Amino acid sequence: MKKIYLNALPVRIWHWVNAASFLVLIVTGLQIRYREILGLMKFRDAVDTHNFFGFVLIGNFFLWLAYYIFTGKIKIYIPPLSLKKFVTGCIRQAKYYGYGIFLGEENPHHSTPENKFNPMQQIAYLAIMVVLIPLQLGTGLLLWDIKAFSGWINMLGGVKIMDTIHVFIFLFLTSFLFVHVYLATLGHTAMAHIKSMITGYEEIEEHAH
Amino acid sequence: MFETNLEKDPEKGTLGLVLLGPIFGMLYIFFLPIIGIMTLLLAIPEYASAKKAPIIENAEICMGCHSMKGVDKVFKNKEKVSVFVNADDFKDTVHGFLSCDSCHTKISLETHPGTANVFASRSAFALDAAKSCRMCHSDEQLKAKPHHAAMTNRPNAPPCTECHGSHTVKRASVWKPTLAGNQYCLTCHSKNFSKTERNGDKLSLHIDPSLLSSSVHNKHACNDCHTEYSRASHPVKSFGSNREHSIAISEACGKCHADKKKAVSESIHHTMISEGNLKAPVCADCHGFHTVGPKATYETLSGVPCKKCHDEIFKVYSKSVHGLAKANGEHKAPICSSCHFAHDVTVANLTDKIKNACLGCHKGVEAVHEKWLPNSGLHLSVVACAACHSPNSGRGISLRLYDQNTGKPFTEEQIMKLLGTGYQGLSEKMSAHGEGINSEDLWSIVSQLNKKGAEAKVTFLGRMQVSDGSESHMLALKKNAVRECESCHTSGSNFFKTVTVAIVKADGRLKEYKVQPEVLGSMMSLASLKQFYVLGSTRLKILDWIGIMMVFGGASLPIVHLTLRILTSPIREAKRLNKMRRGDKR
Repeated sequence: MKKIYLNALPVRIWHWVNAASFLVLIVTGLQIRYREILGLMKFRDAVDTHNFFGFVLIGNFFLWLAYYIFTGKIKIYIPPLSLKKFVTGCIRQAKYYGYGIFLGEENPHHSTPENKFNPMQQIAYLAIMVVLIPLQLGTGLLLWDIKAFSGWINMLGGVKIMDTIHVFIFLFLTSFLFVHVYLATLGHTAMAHIKSMITGYEEIEEHAH
Repeated sequence: MFETNLEKDPEKGTLGLVLLGPIFGMLYIFFLPIIGIMTLLLAIPEYASAKKAPIIENAEICMGCHSMKGVDKVFKNKEKVSVFVNADDFKDTVHGFLSCDSCHTKISLETHPGTANVFASRSAFALDAAKSCRMCHSDEQLKAKPHHAAMTNRPNAPPCTECHGSHTVKRASVWKPTLAGNQYCLTCHSKNFSKTERNGDKLSLHIDPSLLSSSVHNKHACNDCHTEYSRASHPVKSFGSNREHSIAISEACGKCHADKKKAVSESIHHTMISEGNLKAPVCADCHGFHTVGPKATYETLSGVPCKKCHDEIFKVYSKSVHGLAKANGEHKAPICSSCHFAHDVTVANLTDKIKNACLGCHKGVEAVHEKWLPNSGLHLSVVACAACHSPNSGRGISLRLYDQNTGKPFTEEQIMKLLGTGYQGLSEKMSAHGEGINSEDLWSIVSQLNKKGAEAKVTFLGRMQVSDGSESHMLALKKNAVRECESCHTSGSNFFKTVTVAIVKADGRLKEYKVQPEVLGSMMSLASLKQFYVLGSTRLKILDWIGIMMVFGGASLPIVHLTLRILTSPIREAKRLNKMRRGDKR
């Protein structure tokens, strides 16, 4: 077994702030939307909390963006530019998750600080971080003060469209969260990836080559 | 002695004649002028009395009683009238040559005075006595002056004596011109009489001088307002009805009150009048005709004129926090005109006027809302003050078409033009289904209005307000206002069960059409009501189902994968053991 420093401190801080904010935003979002079903807190408290953590997430996003751009590590999110390489990588990874993993085959992707994500993760996280999260934060910000942002809202199609986009992404990210957490348990032990997101170090098995 | 002497001595008689003749002649010549003067002096009174004639043969009998002051006649209704007649005054009138019974024809000396034939009232007596006038003064004579004829030939005409006096009878033209100012008009118009309009309405022409003098217009001459009338001209006007008369006469007010006239011209009341709805009020309906009071008169609970028509609303207002404060003597407490304005009365819920009226008194209230109400600016712009501050009222959503480019309401006329239809067509389109407008109808309307080539970008904006206009006056104490977010932000909230499309007419009135409340959460509302969304309460129902499927899918993927891993764990275990064995062998 050897340990590699996979997750730098800023990444870990960003991740857990993100995780906590996500959970709070999901719960308060559900409370706001389904008040007649959920009775966890008052509507007003749910809105205030949702708004607060929404801004936390906005700040956190820019922290992430700044860190990854200034360190140049943003490239770990970029899938192979060669389509063939990308497709092959995806198929290889999909085959592993859909078949090989049951047979005890080795994960074809080995995370290193420079090549952290497999091609499927790359395309998924790139879409999430570059498209969905900014859209979610953007629509959330507009909905936070409809009157102040009425010009933008009208230009983008109206408050109902904004809300629908916001709720749709919320539902997608919530459903993705299950997959994300599950995949996090697919390290060489169930807690390997999770531990590495806490300590920064991932234990990896050494293979005889 | 002379006779004896003459018979005895004829010569002596001749002598006597010769002697006495000159004496008598001298005496005759001397006294002749005196006799003439005396005769003349005696003749003058005779002449005078012949000219003025003794009142009548029976006048002395009548005047035996009627020259006494302090004697009253009592009518059946206990009214009294002095029986005193000033004979000297009477003799000086144009009727001075008449005898008492020329006019009082029914009086019989055998029964007079007595209790028989006692009149019911003084006016009944006057009316009966005035019949005598018509014995000499014919209809033709009266008709010579049209207004006079109009006055005297009506069934309820006042007795002649009202204007001409009784025993001191005078021509009106003799005494009326001597009257000052409005007294000229009031000589007739202080009397109880009326005219009949073409539709049979009775219009009282009686003016109470005491009310007139207590009005703010008491310094005005009658013809300041009644400009067509003067001492020289009194046209007899005719109106279709009393209502038409009120409307016509109110035009006079604008002569001085031009600013108020302009304000009224922008009011909903004026619009209604010009549309032919004569029930809408004009100046006189609120201010009265001759009893116009000071402004403060109309700002009291007892004097506010609005309640004459808006009685139901006034009752609700009276029980509101404002009405109760007013009743408790708080002069600053608002009354109708404080919010709706006295002259430029507009449709309450269309503009910001009402909101601004609230904010006009409740200064700083926006800052107060900001302290506790999230997005207070937004709330204050889309939720009517009364929706929260009339806690017991029924609320609803009013959807209105706005031109997104200009921010102005899209009027009925503009809508009809774009839809290529008329009032009837629009009404049919809006009421196609008995249960109200559904989501397809709404989308059809919006898409037609925004069809290619249309200049305006039309969109529905939603507003929460009190559904029943009168209930919006049930304003309560601040502590009772709605503060709970949950009142609105809950799916199924009662506040979202009454939905209407309100079409704005060019004059500012709203025409409301019922909408099915399900429209607010329909998929099609994404396009038709894209500007109206309330957290929690107007969410898209279809998105709920999509969400359930997505989250279920997201959660089921790990469950299925994990299950497969558990099921296939023997394969991996076997593989691991094989590997270990191979390792051992090695």
